Amino acid sequence: MLDRETLERLLGTALARGGDYADVFCERRVALSFRLQGGVIHEGGLVVTQGVGIRTIAGESAGYGYSDDLSATALARAAGVASTIANGSDGAGRRAHVEPVSVARLYDADGSASSDSAAYVKLLERADVAARAFDPRVSSVNATITDEIQEVWIATSDGRLAYDRRPLISLGVQVLCVRGKERGFGYAGDGGRTSMLYFDGRTPESIALEAARVSAINLEAIEAPAGEMEMVVGSGGGGVLLHEAVGHGLESDFSRQGVSLYSGRVGQRVASELVTIYDDGNLAGERGSLAVDDEGNPGSHKVLVENGILRGYMQDYLNGRLMGVASTGSGRRQSFRSMPQPRMCNTYMPAGTSTVDEIVRSTKRGIYAKSFAGGQVEISKGDFVFMIAEGYLIEDGRVTSPVKNATIVGNGPEVMSSVVAVGNDSRLAGGHYTCGKGGQYVPVGVGMPTVKISSITVGGSDLG
Amino acid sequence: MADARRADGASELERAHAAVETAMQAGATQAEATFTVSERFTAEARDRTLTKVERSIGKMLQMRIFVDGRKSSLTSSDFDSSRLRAAIERAVGQARYVQSDPLAGLPDRLEAPPAYREDLGLFASAVAERTAQEKTEEAVALERRIREIDARIENSNGSSVGDASATVAFVNSLGLNGSYRSTRVNRSSSPVAHDGGNKRTGAYGTAARSLDDLETVDAVARAAVRRTVELFGACKPPTMRVPVIFERDAAASVMADLFAALNAANVATGNSWLANRAGERIGSELVRIVDDGCLPGRLGSSPFDGEGVPTRRTVAVDRGVLRTFLYDTYYARKLGAGTTANSAGGGIGPNNFYLEAGAGSLEDLIAATPRGVLVLDTIGFATEHASGTYSRGARGFYIENGEVAYPIDGFTIAGTFAQMLAGVDRVAGDLRFDASVVSPSFRVAEMTISGT
Repeated sequence: MLDRETLERLLGTALARGGDYADVFCERRVALSFRLQGGVIHEGGLVVTQGVGIRTIAGESAGYGYSDDLSATALARAAGVASTIANGSDGAGRRAHVEPVSVARLYDADGSASSDSAAYVKLLERADVAARAFDPRVSSVNATITDEIQEVWIATSDGRLAYDRRPLISLGVQVLCVRGKERGFGYAGDGGRTSMLYFDGRTPESIALEAARVSAINLEAIEAPAGEMEMVVGSGGGGVLLHEAVGHGLESDFSRQGVSLYSGRVGQRVASELVTIYDDGNLAGERGSLAVDDEGNPGSHKVLVENGILRGYMQDYLNGRLMGVASTGSGRRQSFRSMPQPRMCNTYMPAGTSTVDEIVRSTKRGIYAKSFAGGQVEISKGDFVFMIAEGYLIEDGRVTSPVKNATIVGNGPEVMSSVVAVGNDSRLAGGHYTCGKGGQYVPVGVGMPTVKISSITVGGSDLG
Repeated sequence: MADARRADGASELERAHAAVETAMQAGATQAEATFTVSERFTAEARDRTLTKVERSIGKMLQMRIFVDGRKSSLTSSDFDSSRLRAAIERAVGQARYVQSDPLAGLPDRLEAPPAYREDLGLFASAVAERTAQEKTEEAVALERRIREIDARIENSNGSSVGDASATVAFVNSLGLNGSYRSTRVNRSSSPVAHDGGNKRTGAYGTAARSLDDLETVDAVARAAVRRTVELFGACKPPTMRVPVIFERDAAASVMADLFAALNAANVATGNSWLANRAGERIGSELVRIVDDGCLPGRLGSSPFDGEGVPTRRTVAVDRGVLRTFLYDTYYARKLGAGTTANSAGGGIGPNNFYLEAGAGSLEDLIAATPRGVLVLDTIGFATEHASGTYSRGARGFYIENGEVAYPIDGFTIAGTFAQMLAGVDRVAGDLRFDASVVSPSFRVAEMTISGT
């Protein structure tokens, strides 16, 4: 987007008043979307995001300027804004030299975001037909497809120039079933850093049927119980639990600043010995993967927790440098308008040894949370919630009635210490999760085997 | 970044006009464009150090394009003239794949152009004129103040001071056009303290259009510290059914959920528990819910909405009776109503949306509650509004004999929105407008607390 000489000059300007490090993040993103509503294609959309963000780091402080205006004057002004965080003059005349670095090929993007609009529309129509055919009580279907290509060029004062071209496609289907005054809602979505060809295997029909099945089940759902009980967390989307209960607390900004309850606890027991958690930016085609992060560092496989022992944090450049360790390729940003933060990529737990049947049969009275609609955490004390999208009662070792959407509340280390069984069925959930932190939203992946937790608070309204 | 922009928005109007022209040349039958230029500043401090300074001028073009009732939209920050033309042409091309809908289109042409209000007091020049140094010093001062107020504050997630000033210009192909300038300024802090073996964070933030309306550094610091230390020693309460008082910020999040249920797009697609309930009683006599885009100086005010429709005051729920949903032009046509000027960002959004204040303070409310729970903060969010089920993580206090007895956390509150609105039996007078969705504190006669 900008030539090498311009990038080097901007890095020089960013360091003109001193500072330890500077980077220039250039982005061009084109996202195409269509939405189906009421049986017809309701609207199309196009979002073009283009601009440059320039950052200077001095100690633990960072200055940032960004511009959508690519003129030399506007870019120099943004670099000047960044430079003001340093208050010396020792950088005057400094000139950075950047060399291209090699970037792994993690995504197969052929055909993405340039596909014929007719092909996207066809996928939505297939989803609509499949959902309506599932059950006569299906009263409304909403389906959205978004396909984008984000190109990034990252130049750093330590001499790197990285380029990445990231595809991201997602297809989501919402289904509403109605019977009298009762309404049941179901959602399913999938996709990843791949192209339309993904939906040859994972068909829009299969996604629509999953949404329709959940909406029909929720139509029959009874009030969720209230109080402490056992919980079985379903495989795949159950990984939201790891993301909230552990993941955020291991992002290195919170841990370095001593704000997270996991600060300074590497090597200590933070979970039951059955618990191992990875975060991986290198899984080919997955929604949370990054060949290089938004600071130009390669994505990696990180062991966060191993047999219950905390092994390490997810690092971006700034926090890693202050903690004396290398970046783990976890520096991510929503767009050129934001500075990077340490973030998760694809967070998951590998398989254990129990069968799902054993886990359910061993549960006397509990909740089976097959999938979650989302969650939230307060990272200091570690209290988190997540919202059940599809849940059932377990009574005397048998899965019985579906229960209405309820919030589950727990404390990270307490809940992770209460993991008493880990299933042999680990899998990644369909790619449709988005994580928000400090106002920045990035695509992530989650994965999980079926897991049993001995006690957690279920926020239903039925006192039994 | 003192840009020599004309203050009247003329250059922004020209840009919006040019985008509409391009769309019409490319085959659109109707088009509208909103062009926004905003200048933003944020300073953040931790302990004695200024940790972050961010400053920028950003431009954004948002368009809606119609080709014979086929709708598409474009958002762009790329203003290279040939690439912008290509993007507009591409968005027009996308519309051809959309089903034609006779209801889709711009608001009806008026006989006379609407008179947009110019006296809303949305722009405060004192905000736009503050120097970077004043703001960075204030962030550091806020960070210092939280530690002075209470020695137990030993760390923080940062204190931040920010502002933005924006010029918004709107043009549509039916000849409607208008522009306005606005400012916004905010202060926030997030102290951290040790409570035995636990860490506790309490976040507090506030915003306003002008510095005069903004809470002082000292007030923000005190509120943030109070939120951090007041829950020291909190325990999980027993599972029970009791009256629940929502303190005004927690109450505002309930209002945000109610907005989603009143959103006509959700109503039309069946994704609202209020669908088919217009004219019915949905709450107690104390419930009057208002959306008002013309309150002078408020954060949710503007002369016109996203479609150029002049803003107004709408009473959505009056003394417990559902009077109207909140509409943009399309969903008003779809449901046989008139727009309430709630078009925002291509969808439907709130102006100043609030529960009307009652009387008395939060303390009066507590004193009138023999036994119950005061909720200061909720976490979690509604993932759908079809069923009307409410369940959130919460923290706050247990109330006994009209007094705060002890702090509680790690519990949930649950019920349905219908039960909650019907159960509103007291509304306090502590409403204030530090966001676009706000509420006074209120009490619900009974909800389920799920704890041990």
